[in-house]
Parts: sequence; C-alpha cells; structure tokens
Amino acid sequence: MSHRRVLPGILGCAIVAAVCCAGSEPARTVAVAVPIPATARQPAGQVALPNKAESLHFAVIGDNGNGDKPQYEVGRHMLDWYNRFPFPLVLMMGDNIYGSDRPQDYDAKFRLPYKGLLDKGVKFYASLGNHDSREQRNYEYFNMNGKLYYSFKAPKEDVRFFALESTYMDPDQLKWLESELKGARENWKIIYFHHPLYSSARTHGSQLKLREVLEPLFIQYGVSLVLNGHDHAYERIKPQNGIQYFVVGSSGQLRRGDLRKPSPLTAFGNDTEQIFMLMEVDGDTLTFNAINLKGAVVDSGMIARRK
Amino acid sequence: MVLLAGLLMGQTPASSKAAPNPTPKAAPKQSTQVNANAAVISDFVKRVNEYVAVHKKLEDTLPKLSKDSTPKEIDTHERALLKLMQEARKGAKQGDVLTLRMQRFIRNLLRPIFTGKSGEQIKAEILDKEYKGNAPLAVNARYPDEVPISTVPPQVLQSLPKLTEDIEYRFIQNSLILFDPHAHMIVDFMERAFN
Repeated sequence: MSHRRVLPGILGCAIVAAVCCAGSEPARTVAVAVPIPATARQPAGQVALPNKAESLHFAVIGDNGNGDKPQYEVGRHMLDWYNRFPFPLVLMMGDNIYGSDRPQDYDAKFRLPYKGLLDKGVKFYASLGNHDSREQRNYEYFNMNGKLYYSFKAPKEDVRFFALESTYMDPDQLKWLESELKGARENWKIIYFHHPLYSSARTHGSQLKLREVLEPLFIQYGVSLVLNGHDHAYERIKPQNGIQYFVVGSSGQLRRGDLRKPSPLTAFGNDTEQIFMLMEVDGDTLTFNAINLKGAVVDSGMIARRK
Repeated sequence: MVLLAGLLMGQTPASSKAAPNPTPKAAPKQSTQVNANAAVISDFVKRVNEYVAVHKKLEDTLPKLSKDSTPKEIDTHERALLKLMQEARKGAKQGDVLTLRMQRFIRNLLRPIFTGKSGEQIKAEILDKEYKGNAPLAVNARYPDEVPISTVPPQVLQSLPKLTEDIEYRFIQNSLILFDPHAHMIVDFMERAFN
C-alpha cells in the first residue's frame, strides 16, 4: 500500500495500481479497475470509491463531540456523501462527548450534528476516548450493548470490527481480544480505538506502551486495518508490519500544525482542516477516501487484505 | 463474592525482588516481607469488597440501565447512584480504602515501572498534555467533567491488584484515584503515586 497512481480512465474506469509495501512482507502489486461514479467528481489523481451496491460501505469519525460549528459542517458533508455513497454504519474513534455530558450535551454534541444520518437509519458504533464517560456504553445510539469493548460482524462482506477501550487496557480486555481474534473467521479484521499506536503528532504521538501489548496480537491474527483518534489531525501511516494504520482525530476537534513534518511515519497527513473518512470493502480490497470540510477528497487509496 | 481475583498475593514489591542474590540468612526477612505485603493486599481487597457490596446494593435499588438507554436515563442513574453512595459513605475520608500502608505498597510496586527505562514514556501516556488544570481531589466527589479520564498503561494495570468493573484505577496528574465509573465518583485517592 501507500504508493499508487491512477492511470487514465478507460470507459469510465480508472486503473489503480496499488503497490503494497507490507512491512517485512514482500511487496506486491494489485491492479484493479475502479468504476468512477458520475456523481463523485473527484479530482484527478484521487482514487474513487467503487460504490458497488453489494460491497460494504462505512464512515469513520474521531474526536468529534465538541458541539462546535465544524462538527456540524462535517455532519452535513457526511449526509451529502451518504446520498451518493450510502453507508449503513459509522465507526467512532472516541471523544464522542467532550466536557459535560448532560442530556442536552448528547443532543448538541452528537444527535443534532448527525441527525440527518440518524434519520436515515445509519448506525454509529462508538469506542470510548479519554473525554468520554464510561456510561456512554449504554447510550442507545452508540450501539455498544453496554460493553466497554466489543466486536461485531459487518452487515455485508466478510468483515469483523473490533472496538477496544484503550484508556484501560487491562489483562481481561487483552485476554478477550486475543480470544475474539483467534475465533474470528472473517477475512477482514478491522480494529478501532482511541489511542494511536502510531502518530506523528506532537501533542500525544505514538502510544508505545499500548503498542507493545496490542501490535503482536494484530500481527499474529491477521489484522489488516487499525483506526484511531486522540491526536487532532488526519494521518495515514506508512504500513507497519503489514498493517495499515490511520489517525482520524479531527472530525470535530482540530490542532493545527500539530503533525511533525517530515515524519518517517507519515504517508499522508493533514492538520489544517476537519476530516472524516469513507471506506468500502469489496472482496479483498478496501478503498478509502478522506474528506475535508469542503466535502472534497484530500487523500485516497486502496488497501489489500492481509492474508 | 469474586471481586479481586488474580491478586498479587505474596508478591513483593519489585524493589524487594531486585535485592541481589539474597543469602540464606536473608530468607526469613524476605518471608516476613512477603507476609506483610500479603496482609496489606488482603486488607485492601477487604475494603474494596466492602465498597463494591454497598455499591451493588444501592445500584440494585435503581432502575436498571438498558443497553439502549437515553441520555436522560444515563444521567439520572449516574447522579442518583452518586447521591446514594455519598449518603451511604457520609463519613468517608481519604485513606479509608487506600490506606497508608497500601499507598506505600503501591508506591513501591510502581516505582520500578516509573523509574525504569520506559518510565518517562509511561508517565507521558498518563499525564494528558491537554489538561493543564489542577482539579482539587475529594473523596465522594463527582469526577470533574473538565478533567479527561487518564490512560492507565497496561504495564501499570498488570502490576496493580486486579479490580472488577465497578471500580477502576485512574490518575489525575500524579495522584492515583479509585474511580467508580457507574457513579462517576472518586472513591479514594493517593497523592504522589509517582514523582
């Protein structure tokens, strides 16, 4: 992953060459035809989402719950994209409700910014961040089933998501994770939680102690994709040990200029505007778009499933 | 009641374990130390169990939260439990659960972690750069909304006596707190858990 180019379109398709540099694994090249939906209007050089009816679509947001204007703007753009690229679920990287979490805060910092999506039946699956009350696990719209950490099978494609509670990675949770990963029969294992194992941000950066205990499990059990927040920027990390990591911590909060530049970790970074992501799993390929406050794609590409 | 399984029963603080090649003569002293530590942990377990028993009893008097609760239900439950716990523990003071002996034990337990080669990393992961305030700590108080909930690195959690989900270890700055996540309440705390 990480180095790709879009060749000139042929009959409405772009040929995307994705060169996979999967850590110690041998590099491999994947060539796929990607139909570009007429409505997508993506700039040249960007990888369009295939937007197939039978594939799994989902969105990713993180560090969103401050109730400020940009959060609402992101919500508006998510709805706009939903109308072209319907996604049944949204993964939340934590810091879902900043500060006070009285009932009116749940409205102002979650329900209202995403009202359009909620009205369409989109389900949000939360993980908890360090600004979140533990009792959010019982909130009807976070679909956590009263659990601090949980896994669920995606409604389409062969995908299982795992939501972790990274502020409190106790031995019980680690044991649970290993057992869940070991028992998961799905081809795609996608993990998300708040604290990034890899990040070039100055404020928090890579959580090395957490990495020590989690990454060996991710490697052993074939995890393909890890999504995090906490640092208020967007960062696509260069693949580490065959795993693709993203920091998506700017869907509401933003810490301008926080990313170290250059950083040996960064494949692409953006710390100047709020970002959310759209993803599509189609067989063994996942296509991603990172979208800014203008509703424009700022980063995109494809990931091949780890086998 | 199974509350604190997997305790460090009989485990000595790492500083004691690090004593170089104890001679046979030193063995009785070490054995005494082990017994003393076991007694401290056992006493801590007893105190935590007592707290959790009260917590469970009072929480059972409240309507149960479903997995599909509204914010109002969550808030009402949390604050009602907080109030009940505050009334039930009216005379509670710092050190009731984390006794001075337990505080000393914890400091000894954590010292090698915080002074080891990864110590600064671990501290950095606990001390949230976003929070610069200095919230006053008080037993039975609601955990302050403006203070992010600290990360407790796995290496720290692996060292401390295990708790159930009714009570958690957290940090505010370098103070270790016992936190009741259901009532969103500070149960007890110790200052200077690390320097």
